[in-house]
Amino acid sequence: MAAATPASFDAASVERGARLAAVGDCSSCHTASNGRPYAGGVPLATPFGTIHGTNITPDPETGIGGWSEGAFVRAMREGIARDGSHLYPAFPYDHFTHTTDDDLHALYAYLMTRDPVRAPNRANDLRFPFNIRPLIAAWNVLYLRQTAFHPEPSRSAEWNRGAYLVQSLGHCGSCHSPRNALGAEKTDAELAGGEAQGWYAPALNDASPSPLPWTVEQLSVYLRTGIARDHAIAGGPMQEVAGNLAHASADDVHAIAVYIESTMGPLTGDREARANGAQRRAAGGPLPNVSVEDQRIGTSGGTASGNAALAQLGITVYDDACAACHDLGRTDSSSGALRLPLAVAVYDPDPRSLLRIVRDGIAPLPGQPGRWMPAFGSTLSDEQLVALLAYLRAAAAEAPPWRELPKSVREANASP
Amino acid sequence: MITINVNGSARQVDADPATPLLYVLRGELQLNGAKFGCGLGQCGACTVMVGGAAAFSCLIPISLVQQRPVKTVEGLGTIDKPGVVQQAFIDEQAAQCGYCIAGMIMRAQALLERKPDPSDAEIRREMTPNLCRCGTHMRILRAVRRASDMMRGKSVDHPVASR
Repeated sequence: MAAATPASFDAASVERGARLAAVGDCSSCHTASNGRPYAGGVPLATPFGTIHGTNITPDPETGIGGWSEGAFVRAMREGIARDGSHLYPAFPYDHFTHTTDDDLHALYAYLMTRDPVRAPNRANDLRFPFNIRPLIAAWNVLYLRQTAFHPEPSRSAEWNRGAYLVQSLGHCGSCHSPRNALGAEKTDAELAGGEAQGWYAPALNDASPSPLPWTVEQLSVYLRTGIARDHAIAGGPMQEVAGNLAHASADDVHAIAVYIESTMGPLTGDREARANGAQRRAAGGPLPNVSVEDQRIGTSGGTASGNAALAQLGITVYDDACAACHDLGRTDSSSGALRLPLAVAVYDPDPRSLLRIVRDGIAPLPGQPGRWMPAFGSTLSDEQLVALLAYLRAAAAEAPPWRELPKSVREANASP
Repeated sequence: MITINVNGSARQVDADPATPLLYVLRGELQLNGAKFGCGLGQCGACTVMVGGAAAFSCLIPISLVQQRPVKTVEGLGTIDKPGVVQQAFIDEQAAQCGYCIAGMIMRAQALLERKPDPSDAEIRREMTPNLCRCGTHMRILRAVRRASDMMRGKSVDHPVASR
């Protein structure tokens, strides 16, 4: 089977493919920073080593220019490259396998009409035995379920569209579902929270850490802008997802929001109480000075005077470095900063995402408008960072302390 | 009163604890090398070293400096005896308007103290947070390379001015 020529695709398919590529967030792995679109080379750190996104431009020698549509569909559905070799499941064909023929045709049309870029693929750096590609065949037997998406007849067409996109091209579970020791998503814990490049990817099921229940409209806006004023400003990998979804069909993004809102489940009494508490703290002016007992710093050992000093340090860091923007009305800042009692990251089961936000700040994607938070990594010492997070956990979230904060800080320091 | 260690000496400062270090350096201690650019940690003109690392002095409240030593461009040398990085910037004529240069020098100094022989890619990555509106980036990068070579006793080209 020969590859198609660009002229053989109708403009409508190419346009639809572009919108679907945005849902698929293809560029996050296939476009390097400062690189040509879809020319590959993005390093992706996994527990098994580093793998590099490949060149998916239609260059005949280094890209997929020689691939027929059949070869493309097989790669997307079965994880097998044109030459018959197995692709690593870091490429989420376990999700793409559920994508319809029509949608795969549109994606193919879009990719084959991009500018071809000559860029040889970079070798992966995986440790034994994960560097042996044929072993992936066994992984596929265990974990790859090549089934079409099954609609839920009792639900609306929009809900079903959202479910389809989330489970197939959107591959939300790749980050938001936990994985087992072999890197496969745990099917009994779909969207129960996972990880992405050192960030905690929040649970999107009834374990959602969000203090206020998300509404469909808030999700829809967040997915397209990365900004939800009562929840979060997207950082890390999710920022790129939102940057891409801005180019997806608005109807599709709304459908995703409808579906995700439903996966988070109904508002239980517990969640309502948590929401009321967060609202009360967010409305109550500056964050309070929380005592060492309430910060529960002593639970992980340390001397009484040392713990008291740490508790006071957390208050000082917040007051002097954070409050000017984050305490509503304290100064004439833009009030664009999140009110921290509402910020999802403070309620996460572990501090990874909050650590990264404080350390690296939040900067808009290159050339895009967006919110800005400075990086405090070189401003705060490790001890100040630990003290700040212990304080925020107690004062903003009124949640049980994160265990082993100093260890989390060391781990964050060790990774880019 | 808050005590901070600047360029090797303990300084007493009478300021609100939330005052940015930059304001104290310039307003109280007459150390005007670090510049106010954006006040938001976006431009790097205020970069100094705090505890051995390059840091935006516009973002550090004076209360949080604590025991970490502060080093500013004034701590690297004098007009008569410039420090190595300063000399390299002069030799490469890396300043145009000069507003960003104190920050550039301090970020380069922090890099070279930590890693005396960085690759060109590492220099570029490290210097990324600091902006130059005049566009002398290529000279700045050359100056950092030159400083690295000078520190390690490698031979360097004649200064730009005499080429």
